[in-house]
Amino acid sequence: MFRRHCLKLMLAGSAFALSSGFAQAQMAASIDKPVTITFYNYNLASASAGADATRDLLREFMEANPNITVKGVPVPSNEILSRVQADIVAGQQPDVAQLVFRDLIYIANDLGANALEVMVPPFELAKQFEGMIPQGIDLGKVDNKTYGLAYTFSTPILYYNADLFRKAGLDPDKPPRTWSEVKAYGEAINKATGKHGFFPGAYGPVDGTFVYQAIAMSNGGNVRDGNKLTFADAEGLEAVQMLRSMVDSGAHARIDVGSHQDTMASGNLGMFLYTSAVQSSLLKSAKGKFDLRVAAMPGFGEKPTRPTNSGSALFVFSKDPAKRRAAYELLKFLTSKQAYTVITTKIGYLPLRLDIVDDPKYLAGWVAENPMIRPNLEQLSRLTPNVAFPGPNYRQVEKMMMDGVREAVFGKGDAAAVLKAAQQDAQRLMPR
Amino acid sequence: MSETRAVKLPTGGIRALPALPRLNLAPWLYLAPALITIVVWTYLPLIEAFQLSFYQWNMLPTSPKRFVGLANYAHLLTLPEMHAALANTAIYILGLFPMSVIIPLAVAIFTQDLKGPMRNVYRTLIFVPMIIAPVVAAIVWRWLLNEDHGLVNVALDTLGLHRIGFLQDPNFALATLIWITGWKLIGFSTLLFSAANASINPSYVEAARMDGASRCQIIRDIRLPLLSPTILLLSMMTVLFGAQWSFTYINVLTGGGPLKSTTNIFYLLWDYGFGSLSVGWSSAAGMIAFAGFTMIAFFCLRLMKRCSVYDN
Repeated sequence: MFRRHCLKLMLAGSAFALSSGFAQAQMAASIDKPVTITFYNYNLASASAGADATRDLLREFMEANPNITVKGVPVPSNEILSRVQADIVAGQQPDVAQLVFRDLIYIANDLGANALEVMVPPFELAKQFEGMIPQGIDLGKVDNKTYGLAYTFSTPILYYNADLFRKAGLDPDKPPRTWSEVKAYGEAINKATGKHGFFPGAYGPVDGTFVYQAIAMSNGGNVRDGNKLTFADAEGLEAVQMLRSMVDSGAHARIDVGSHQDTMASGNLGMFLYTSAVQSSLLKSAKGKFDLRVAAMPGFGEKPTRPTNSGSALFVFSKDPAKRRAAYELLKFLTSKQAYTVITTKIGYLPLRLDIVDDPKYLAGWVAENPMIRPNLEQLSRLTPNVAFPGPNYRQVEKMMMDGVREAVFGKGDAAAVLKAAQQDAQRLMPR
Repeated sequence: MSETRAVKLPTGGIRALPALPRLNLAPWLYLAPALITIVVWTYLPLIEAFQLSFYQWNMLPTSPKRFVGLANYAHLLTLPEMHAALANTAIYILGLFPMSVIIPLAVAIFTQDLKGPMRNVYRTLIFVPMIIAPVVAAIVWRWLLNEDHGLVNVALDTLGLHRIGFLQDPNFALATLIWITGWKLIGFSTLLFSAANASINPSYVEAARMDGASRCQIIRDIRLPLLSPTILLLSMMTVLFGAQWSFTYINVLTGGGPLKSTTNIFYLLWDYGFGSLSVGWSSAAGMIAFAGFTMIAFFCLRLMKRCSVYDN
């Protein structure tokens, strides 16, 4: 009984919040009184450089805006959406949240995130978007409205262990550029050193789908076409079959999908395709132990690669006009030239304002010292949006797709049959 | 006389009525805390889960609940994942038996005769895994079992054996998780068996010894029969809860993989509910598990009544 009452109260509460939200679609012009906003952030929850850098940024923001207090809420990335949802249900309206793109449609349609075009006066928004890369901004849009402001971005890059390359008689200055080269290199490393050849961070519980999507899309595949799933169709299937053939030949490792990064960090993996966001952590682990280098992600023959993004956007959920203003000020700060300088140098994400790369006031000096960022920057021009799934069952659809991919790559059965069956099962859960 | 008549015929006579509520209310009052808790935390959620299993809903109050009839059940029963989960649940239960019943029973009986401080040292050592936090235990095992630099594999390597991907080879992963779950359980079961064993009246054992019974005979004919209620209790607990105890390790170590080889019904219903926010699927999976385990529990209780030997 009690629970049912609670649920009803919550329902009434959120309905009220929703209606009052519509009544005040605008935000305050300025902040005159002290206001406190919450910021759900997954970098804060990590035990890495990301947490310190984010704390520094928030401190800097609060010093510049003495009326605004930002309360950071650290939640790991794979739990952050459930947490935001649970807090909305419990009546603790989050203000700003760093969320990933896979949930974009759901956040916009069901969680009631504010569209920036509705909340922010047009001239202000235009000023904000100026200088940000358009492919990045497009990623946060649903039905032509920006719900998520692109924040931290990375594309898959190929980390490689140059010491293992040398031991296997490969030239570390010539990293593989195509998948057939990755296969040959992986086999060579596996045979000569007994270590693992290649592994992509595409199958684990926290990996999401972006590395897999980048591989499939680079071959011209796509995971869906409107409401029709297409991940088991020609090009997408071919990409998965390529991974399977590498597993069969020993070039692609069979390791714990949840600890691939540890395997790379411990020097037991030759090539590792994963987000550039772990670059700082990997460099730290490799220091003094082995020669870690990076290259652009490999492609299919001469086809240009289509790297998709991992990473997050900032969403505003506030209903109160003053809190909305505070939230927007935070968004502006976190996507400023100054913030991206910190985010790029300290965490390893991409600067979404490319004009700061060669600006000596911001990144120029650092980029000269850290040429490893170059492959990632170069890929940014071909950035292809990560495809999110629609409908109320989007998470199961995504899960069934990834289960199918894992089964096709590592299982015993025929890759095509497995992937087709997964597509058929998942299609029943797509909206019609 | 009139008093006893009033009690005997509670519905007859106006004078008897005031005594009635007083007589019947008291036990209900005493039972109330337990009953209310069990209704609020067990039966109401059960009824709600039953209702929700016919709906498609993502637990968001603002989004509509859509009635889908039996579609959730139909989906689940055709999913290969569900079949794997049900089969694995059975394997978990069978695999846990040796570690939750047989080994602890042997340890309890054989350490009973140990004398002095050694007995406590021995039992403490066995009990320690029980008090380690499950997530910590899981992570330590992940390090120990890592294929490339885990101590277990390094040991296998120095012995000239093949390295084993304990958590990434679908042929080994399930056995590994059963082992970790069982390793945590041994201490608990040993404790229960030791307590039951210690409470066996020593005069039985002495009497048997005087009659010339050997140690084996005492164990077979006195200890084991008198331990049978505990053996059956722990067996029933293993059958009913064994697969649940593995949840933490599945969640931390494998997420149900590799290739669904370690998933079970409890992990699956959690994953549907909180991983993919589909409360309808989760509730339907819960109802299937509930129905199955109700039947098993019923059978176990009958078995227990029939097979237990009680002292006195």
